[in-house]
Amino acid sequence: MPLRTANAVDFWRGVALASIYINHIPGFFYERFTHKNFGLSDSAELFVFLAGWSARSLAGESGDALSMKRMILRVGARGVTLYAAQILITMVAIALIAGASMTLGNPLLLEWHNAAEVFQNPVAAHVGLVALTHHLGFFDILPLYVVLMFCAVGLAVLHRSAPRLVLPISAAIYLLSHVFNLNVPTWPVEGEWLFNPFCWQLIFVLGFQLAGARAQEEIRRHRPALRLLGAAGVLAGAVIVYFKLWPDPLNVPRPVLLFVVDKSYLSPLRLGHALALAALMGGVFAVAAPKAPRLASYFCLLGRNSLYVFCVGSLASLVAQLARFHFGGTLGVDTAALITGFAVLGFTGWLAELKDRVRASGDRT
Amino acid sequence: MRGALAAAFLLCAGAGGAQTPPPPKPEDTPLAKFSAVCDAPFADIATPLPLPHLTQALEKKQSIKVMTIGSSSTVGVGASSLSRNYPNQLLDIFRKSFAGLDMTVVNRGVSGEVSAATADRLKVQVALERPTLVLWQVGTNDALARVPAEDFARTVKDVVVWLKSHDIDVVLVGLQYTPHVARDAHYHAIRAALSAVAEEEQVLLVRRFAAMEFLSKVKGGALLAQDELHLNDLGYRCMAEHIARAMVVSSFMRVKPRPAARP
Repeated sequence: MPLRTANAVDFWRGVALASIYINHIPGFFYERFTHKNFGLSDSAELFVFLAGWSARSLAGESGDALSMKRMILRVGARGVTLYAAQILITMVAIALIAGASMTLGNPLLLEWHNAAEVFQNPVAAHVGLVALTHHLGFFDILPLYVVLMFCAVGLAVLHRSAPRLVLPISAAIYLLSHVFNLNVPTWPVEGEWLFNPFCWQLIFVLGFQLAGARAQEEIRRHRPALRLLGAAGVLAGAVIVYFKLWPDPLNVPRPVLLFVVDKSYLSPLRLGHALALAALMGGVFAVAAPKAPRLASYFCLLGRNSLYVFCVGSLASLVAQLARFHFGGTLGVDTAALITGFAVLGFTGWLAELKDRVRASGDRT
Repeated sequence: MRGALAAAFLLCAGAGGAQTPPPPKPEDTPLAKFSAVCDAPFADIATPLPLPHLTQALEKKQSIKVMTIGSSSTVGVGASSLSRNYPNQLLDIFRKSFAGLDMTVVNRGVSGEVSAATADRLKVQVALERPTLVLWQVGTNDALARVPAEDFARTVKDVVVWLKSHDIDVVLVGLQYTPHVARDAHYHAIRAALSAVAEEEQVLLVRRFAAMEFLSKVKGGALLAQDELHLNDLGYRCMAEHIARAMVVSSFMRVKPRPAARP
């Protein structure tokens, strides 16, 4: 018995998780079929948008019975869980890379995923890993999620006390970081966060805002118009990608970051495309789920257990990369990695719910 | 030494006024000799090709901004400090070679990154920094990740064409060498793809594999850190010397003047 019945949010989160697994394997044959190839945004936007959506359920509504203290504890506790997950998967990833390097006798592997610093400069690198100032490549979205969740404590308080200020403050931070190139530095390796929290917070906040009861009501009322707008945005994105009409960064006005397609800063074009996609696809689940129940059930299973699935999926894509290195990047290897990976993601979701299923069956007998 | 190199540069750069100077032989140019420990056959390391915007900036004594981008060898993994990575050693060599040189280096290396990821951020970084020349160290991680050689070539070519179209010089710095990859077929396929792009687009390629293989066989493991992969300070010094010399020799090449724009 699942924790909750199938719903659109779990479904799309499951789709994002499956897509992240594929996109995190460079050179993977099936990478060309994920939606990033047909538009300006990718599964990261969907993931963070839905994370904000879920945070709304932790924060509750301004008028509900959940006390402020309890709400702060709930949101904060979620942040701690995410942080623990980040540390755990990072350590396992480092061990996987080191183990593969030893087993396959190739020190080149120690460089993968920005891990070289851990082996070359372990004293500083370990401080950086724990302080979240050093991220392994492809393991860098969870640090963003951790920061956003801790900030969500403030967001939830503001949402309760002055809800009208939430979006303007978020948008102002987003704009300022674009205008002044503000990002969080990394250490000990000199650089910046791949997912700039000052920018990515906006899509998180938008998810948070749109998950509210009043916003949902508005969305339902304007569904046809929103879908039309979404379709136009998605079509525009596809045209830009197909005909390579991206704005040339050297030909756009300043501030450059506002007019280019950039992932780190979640440039307005990417944000717009992600929102268009959400507007277009919102409501599709209700229509599609009865027609493909097994597929819908699979993605909902992943989405319901998103943290476990994300963690295992991140490590599974690293294992797939190592397998491709050892066995070669052939179609056969890639197909095996796809099937095995999706099976592992599904098994993780199933295992995460096993306890509840056992408890439920015990209650019945 | 510094004065002699500067004099050599000024002699070459100033000769002929409006006419471009005759292509010098590598032995007549600044940085004519590598340090003893980095000495390797120059012909194996690079085939000089014009770097018109670097040349112009050197001749007119304009400020030069070099952007280094790539993976761990650009970051400087294995170096004892940031000042010992190759971009900083390259800057040091140039400053010692050309009196009064106004050159800055901005380093945008990210360890372990494949070319597609670098290409994603390179254009925006170029737009923000507006460099005279981009040094792109590329290929090693694509080879290890088994990125198809044709996809790799397409990615690199797209960026090179874009840089050229915006009058920014580009130097490609090739894959590194370790004995572990010497028999790896895909590794060599990526090397060949990079050479083909450089050849097709007529951009300077520093063949790091050849240089490192030569030095490894002659000098043993002296240039590598404990992991036998990353360069140590001396290894980065050699990398910087090889790139610097390829750039300087190329900057002295005759540049075919562009046809005048029709009215």
